Amino acid sequence: MSNAMEVSGVWKSFQTHTRIGVKELLLKPRLRHAGRFSRHWALKDISFTVKRGQAFGIVGHNGAGKSTLLDLLLGTTRPDKGTITLHGAVSGLLDLGAGFHPELNGRENVMLYGSILGMSLAEIKRKLPSIVEFSELRDAIEEPIRTYSAGMVARLGFSTIIHAHSDVLLVDEVLAVGDARFQQKCIAYIHEFRRNNGSLVIVSHEKASLEAMCDEAMCLHLGEMRALGPTATVLEEYDRLLNSNNAERASAAA
Amino acid sequence: MRRLESRHVQKHARHADSLNPGSGGSLQMHALTGRVQSGTLRHSLELIYLLVLKELKVRYKSSLLGYLWAVANPFAFAFVYWLAFKFIMRVQMENYSIFLITGMFPWIWLSAGVTQATKSYQANISLVKKVKLNRAIMPLSSIVQEMVHFIFALPAVAIFLVALGDSHIHASWLWQVPLMMAIQLAFAFPIGLTLGLVNVFVRDVEYLIGIAFSLLFFATPIVYPLSMVPPNYQFYFRNSPLHHLIDAWRSVLLDGTMKFESVAVVLAYAVVFSVIAMFAYRRLASKIGEVL
Repeated sequence: MSNAMEVSGVWKSFQTHTRIGVKELLLKPRLRHAGRFSRHWALKDISFTVKRGQAFGIVGHNGAGKSTLLDLLLGTTRPDKGTITLHGAVSGLLDLGAGFHPELNGRENVMLYGSILGMSLAEIKRKLPSIVEFSELRDAIEEPIRTYSAGMVARLGFSTIIHAHSDVLLVDEVLAVGDARFQQKCIAYIHEFRRNNGSLVIVSHEKASLEAMCDEAMCLHLGEMRALGPTATVLEEYDRLLNSNNAERASAAA
Repeated sequence: MRRLESRHVQKHARHADSLNPGSGGSLQMHALTGRVQSGTLRHSLELIYLLVLKELKVRYKSSLLGYLWAVANPFAFAFVYWLAFKFIMRVQMENYSIFLITGMFPWIWLSAGVTQATKSYQANISLVKKVKLNRAIMPLSSIVQEMVHFIFALPAVAIFLVALGDSHIHASWLWQVPLMMAIQLAFAFPIGLTLGLVNVFVRDVEYLIGIAFSLLFFATPIVYPLSMVPPNYQFYFRNSPLHHLIDAWRSVLLDGTMKFESVAVVLAYAVVFSVIAMFAYRRLASKIGEVL
């Protein structure tokens, strides 16, 4: 089985003072250098591999660095150190419909969003009927997106993304798309995607769904990789962290 | 607990600094599927087309005059200046209205395009943060969008020239106007790209650019001819790319002749700005995702 992505020795930091105005430059010239010392490491030495057709889980508490890692995998930010090698195209099922404009109608938004996701115009036009079909929005497709419900927006977003031919899908938390029936359809699609050798990276708090979907997982804690391996062992470590955190909080409260 | 946590982080920060974070990481992509890679020229052009179409649709969605505003706005501006300078300031000049119009339209394309390009990353946050795209696309589509407005207005300008002036329609416009548009695009795009990138880090740029353009508007012979400037100050204008750009447009629109020396000055500046823009793009483009 070949690899879909390799992440090796990735470090990512954020500076606390990123937004410097003219006022700061003039009044506090030292601030420019201070940024170097207020570096906050959001990810420290992260390495893992996702194979083709594999579902890989990422668990961690708030602030563990999960979102930072997803941004890096999506390619919207760059690591400070280390390499991320992607064999194929990565798409995020994260903020469904984030690229949509409320004033445009459903069809116009699919055209634009499809292009943003890397599809050619001819390809989008060819796939448009199938996208509309999957989203079950045939009656509303000529209406502006602002008249859609949140569920409808998510359905259209999901449907557009899955038509964009990705090799790796990044999935966030619970896949909250539309009603229970449509969610079943999405989950069915994701299983089919995997059978066709697509890879998944799933970020979640929910242990049951991770255990059911993922073969391998990683546990992040304050930017560090605490566990990597079979999902069951990683979730044990996650539980241990959760308990020790609770214990500390309890003792602090006492 | 909180203190413990922050000390923990600091220790790591110091440790990490010694690793020289400046060396930078890398992201490598290998295409496997038939999906068009976002980097191809054809795909970039299609995306710009769709982004411009989106902006035009959204902007005129609920206005009665719709696209007519693209024409009406610069004409209204020109009319206001015509009133002020012809009747109140008493500018002595033949065909002053024609002179105004021919300078006003390219100027509005330039200033509106660069101003919008400066804010283009803020206006398209989701394109920066949620998807991996070539980040030159957002400022470029702002400038192309204003160029489309300019193209819409061109027939109206031509009618105006014929109706009010001694000038007539020149066949040479067929190659001169597209050439001038390409030159202005090459001039405006690197400026918009650089300002847009810097504006992500230093938000003051978008306020300064407004002031700068109102200063430059009067520091460029648009509402007055260069001959009205005192001779010892004319030196500044002879080196200003904005003067040469407007002057070249005027000579095309009024006489149907290309002023190649003016074009050369504009292109020379375009090359300088492009070098600066490339430098800015290399340094800043990959970082805007986390700052916005």
